[in-house]
Amino acid sequence: MHLTVNGNPHDIDVPAGRTLVDLLRDDLGLTGTKEACSVGVCGACTVLVDGRMVASCIMLAAQVDGAEIVTIEGVADGELLHPLQRAFVEAGGLQCGICTPGQIVAAKALLDANPAPTEDEIADWMMGNLCRCTGYYQIREAILEAARVSGRAR
Amino acid sequence: MVDYHAIGTPTPRVDGVEKVTGRALYAGDRRLPGMLTGRLLHSHRPHARIVRIDTSAARALPGVHAVITGDDVRGHLYGRRIKDMPVLADGLVRYFGERVAAVAAEDEETARRAVDLIEVEYEDLPAVFDVVDAIAPGAPLLHPAFGTYPGTQPLDVPSNAYDHTVTERGDFDGAFAEADFVFERTFSTQRMHQAYLEPHTSLVSVTDGRAHIWTNTKAPHSIREVLTVTLGLAPEQIVLHHSHIGGDFGGKGTPLDLPIAYFLAQASGRPVRMVADYVEEFMAGNPRHATLTRFRTAVMRDGTITAHHVEYFVNSGAYAAYKPGGRIGGATRAAGPYRIPNTRIESIHVYTNSVPGGHMRAPGGPQGVFALESHLDAIARELDIDPLEFRMHNLIAEGDEPASGDQITRPRVRETLQAAADAAGYRDAKALHVGRGMAIGDHGAGGGVGNAEVTIHPDGAVTLGTAIFDQGSGTYTTLAQVVAEELGVPVDRIRFEIWDTDGTGGEDDSGIGGSRATRVNTVAAHAAAQDARTALTRVLAAQLGVAEADVALRGPDVLTPGGEPHTWAAILAEVGRSVTGRSHVDERGPTHMTGFAAQIAEVAVDPETGQVTVLKITSAHDVGRVLNPIGHQGQINGGVIQGLGYALMEELTFADGQVTSLSFGDYKIPTMRDVPQLTTVLLEPDNGIGPYQIKGIGETPNTPVAAAIANAIADAVGIRISDLPITAEKVYRALQNRGAAAQ
Amino acid sequence: MTATRFHTPATLDEALGLLDEHGDDARLFAGGTAMVTLMKQSLLAADHLVSLQRVPGLEGVRLEADGLHIGALTRHRDVETSDLVRVYAPLLAHVYSRVATVRIRNAATVGGGLAHADPAQDPPAALIALDARVRIASRRSVRELPVEELFVDYYETALAPGEAITELIVPRQPADAGAVYLKFLPRTEDDYATVAVAALARIVDGRAHGVRVALIAAGPTPVRATVVERALEGAPITAEAVRRAAEAVVDAVDPLDDFRGSAGYKRDMAVVFTRRALERALGLSPA
Repeated sequence: MHLTVNGNPHDIDVPAGRTLVDLLRDDLGLTGTKEACSVGVCGACTVLVDGRMVASCIMLAAQVDGAEIVTIEGVADGELLHPLQRAFVEAGGLQCGICTPGQIVAAKALLDANPAPTEDEIADWMMGNLCRCTGYYQIREAILEAARVSGRAR
Repeated sequence: MVDYHAIGTPTPRVDGVEKVTGRALYAGDRRLPGMLTGRLLHSHRPHARIVRIDTSAARALPGVHAVITGDDVRGHLYGRRIKDMPVLADGLVRYFGERVAAVAAEDEETARRAVDLIEVEYEDLPAVFDVVDAIAPGAPLLHPAFGTYPGTQPLDVPSNAYDHTVTERGDFDGAFAEADFVFERTFSTQRMHQAYLEPHTSLVSVTDGRAHIWTNTKAPHSIREVLTVTLGLAPEQIVLHHSHIGGDFGGKGTPLDLPIAYFLAQASGRPVRMVADYVEEFMAGNPRHATLTRFRTAVMRDGTITAHHVEYFVNSGAYAAYKPGGRIGGATRAAGPYRIPNTRIESIHVYTNSVPGGHMRAPGGPQGVFALESHLDAIARELDIDPLEFRMHNLIAEGDEPASGDQITRPRVRETLQAAADAAGYRDAKALHVGRGMAIGDHGAGGGVGNAEVTIHPDGAVTLGTAIFDQGSGTYTTLAQVVAEELGVPVDRIRFEIWDTDGTGGEDDSGIGGSRATRVNTVAAHAAAQDARTALTRVLAAQLGVAEADVALRGPDVLTPGGEPHTWAAILAEVGRSVTGRSHVDERGPTHMTGFAAQIAEVAVDPETGQVTVLKITSAHDVGRVLNPIGHQGQINGGVIQGLGYALMEELTFADGQVTSLSFGDYKIPTMRDVPQLTTVLLEPDNGIGPYQIKGIGETPNTPVAAAIANAIADAVGIRISDLPITAEKVYRALQNRGAAAQ
Repeated sequence: MTATRFHTPATLDEALGLLDEHGDDARLFAGGTAMVTLMKQSLLAADHLVSLQRVPGLEGVRLEADGLHIGALTRHRDVETSDLVRVYAPLLAHVYSRVATVRIRNAATVGGGLAHADPAQDPPAALIALDARVRIASRRSVRELPVEELFVDYYETALAPGEAITELIVPRQPADAGAVYLKFLPRTEDDYATVAVAALARIVDGRAHGVRVALIAAGPTPVRATVVERALEGAPITAEAVRRAAEAVVDAVDPLDDFRGSAGYKRDMAVVFTRRALERALGLSPA
């Protein structure tokens, strides 16, 4: 199969039962994407497939043949952090960090679709990304701040 | 008032950038050449003798490198203090989910298939799940050999109640005889999973006679000590390497599968990695303990509590091994910071055929506080006294001894409660079926030993060496702030050198747990920074040709009498060598400083469905100096929301001893959509521990939430739920029962 | 997860041929959200996964004379955000927006969700209330079936071996109808419902007409509560009439005990939420 991950093309053979998260972590060595609940609930494994966020733990690698994937490793522009990444650090939108790649990829999908979300829209979108450390308040703050920063930049 | 530049300043996490870019490595991200995957066979019986295990088909499967059972690891016992748990079931399984056999194979798929090929024949034994049943006469005894395990003494009478402590104070019986009222009530709490999103992971490589370990434990030195007994190795044969830890909340103090991974690595001659899946986490983790608390409380007509009897039963599960002290606290939390002269506090830990409990955020605290604060609230309402006034009447003031028996310097509990009430608008008008309830908790910072090393490099960079494995709470950031403060440099100048367990040069290090990191390790970092300053002063004095006493460091500058001001970095660059300061601090003693938390929950109850909507939580904290406001607030926010989950929804459910809530689809934790408005109030700091007068914050925000919500429900609709979690169905049934009783 | 072959046929005919060829060893595969989860939990095994991802024409929404035609491979999220659906079946757009989380809705397909037949899934409530039908194809025939008749038991549909859902046909929602979906989530917002009700009704001269009530998470299959509909059809709209009609829902439901409540509690909640849904649909209480 052929796919593009963070702009890099890959041709790779995978067993039919291989999940996308395993393909990313084990075959491509992109361990920034995490697997936690394994049943599509927690959002730690969130990646973008052709711009849409999906749960890579319950998607087969074979499903993304020909697709463009963005993982947490592809969110920053080289060493330049994405506004969301900077806002998460500055607002305390992370603690242990295990859910953070998924949170940021999901939030990126949100801002890509809706650059100035309300608090309610943020909660609706982000409720599929569980975080046990922060109680979510500082994550919400970080997303609002990133939206403000990006809005000013436009 | 000391003027600090780094301490007290909102400081982004020092590990933030690696975590938001996905570069931070967790144990599960590690790969070693030749690494095998380990998988487990778990018991599917709650209590049974193992008649026969046949591993031949598993061994014959291509790609399988090792299969081990209890026979291969006989005599190897695990336990933080009480070493009562065999590495793999030794002829007997004591809970559904117990580790029975293990496989190491080329890949996950092969390992899973091999596990499925292992045949076990069981002979069922009578099982007991409930603490009351387990201490009844004739109950099946789980550990007849208790007393022979390392860390245990024989019991006077064989019992599943392996630890029963009684503390009595005052004229207990006399006070009950003279009481105007005696209130008796029973409360129970459920098992809760810590629900860190990173499952337990262990990677072990045995090379040159040493076990190299990457696992997600927050107390690597303590675990190394435990492993010496379990694995039969000398301390220097074990080294735990650093990885980031993906959440802890108490659950990462005991690496569940690590000894098994070691024996698989031994048997296969290859590195072995075991990553639990979340079914295993729920079935066989180390959850917060279920408890049962019975109260008998004597109260006078004016609302004065005169005597209090606590019987606090802890459902240990099948083993005590995961409890760092062999038992958990909580019994004294069920007595609390109240002025009660006559008390009897009993704490009873009981073995049952269920998953062994471990630590979770303020172990025992939320259990004891839910019981006590619900009970006191109910008493106040029955006496028709406002719950706030009732508490204020009985809470300790300076000089009083609390019922808990704690010694507390400057107990600001009343001030904290009042601050919560004021901020919450406690007396404001309420809509129909809206209620407000309060609860109080406290937790003194734990003690321990800690190490630090501060090196100032000729280029002006500063390295902080630490044995801490930060589990997410932000210890690295506060340590960087301390060093930056003491050396007068910006926080971003500090680089970290995180040591493996060899790094302390043989010194012990307590690691993280019990809110000790801030207390112990800020002292260690402070001492190492001071030591480095002294060394720096010596070098500067020699270079400048003045007496050491005449060298004054002011931020980046060096001042000498009559001399030109220089920056010390420039002089050190001239010297061309680094200076180092080290510390090993012993802060094991108890602290008499505690940080109170008082919370007020405002809820709306739908009387037709029982649904409870938490509208608002106000959390007031008696704090010391806040080192990092970002991290401090994060601890409060996260702690409160875990408390919300505990109060309303989170529960490991069981059927015949088997955990049935085996995924995050069924075991629900709050999402961003489920969090209420949260208002935090921090009291003006006026005391604390150590060089910066700090207090712990990791545990107290989690403790009172469930009781505050239960009390708010009582305020809203007049019913009392005494068993957690408070599901909508329980509220609905209670309302129905009351309706039926009224007719 | 057990090793399988992952087929990507280029035509529907080829896909149906693979189903015939491999029989019980083959499973039709769409968004994967349910199937991969079940396979990972060893609750389902299939040697041959027949993916529809390369089959053209199975995705998208179009409007025809008999209503909206929604291709089986259309993602939940695309139904929710479709302008056509929002205009011609707003209840359906809303109900699809209440399924799980955005991430799941981005992958899960309309046809896959129906074939999965999880009685706790939201869409069938609206589809039954809107008298929707599914088009089902095999190599031998094409047939249509009301969604109401698609579910025969717990995780079991009326699909025969070799059959695939290809399209969903949803009649236009009457513009003058009140339409409501109430999902009872006492734990978290990302949970499955304890019980959920879709209600649809028009008010003509102060009387209720075209009453449709359907529930999910209230039994082994989604159910249409005809007892409630009949009790209210043509009746003058009063709070008392609605209350009495809603009480009849207990005869339509057969809930199971689970993490979201006991069967008895769900039965009681079915009454409460049926009443509330009808009250809103009939303008007796604010939406």
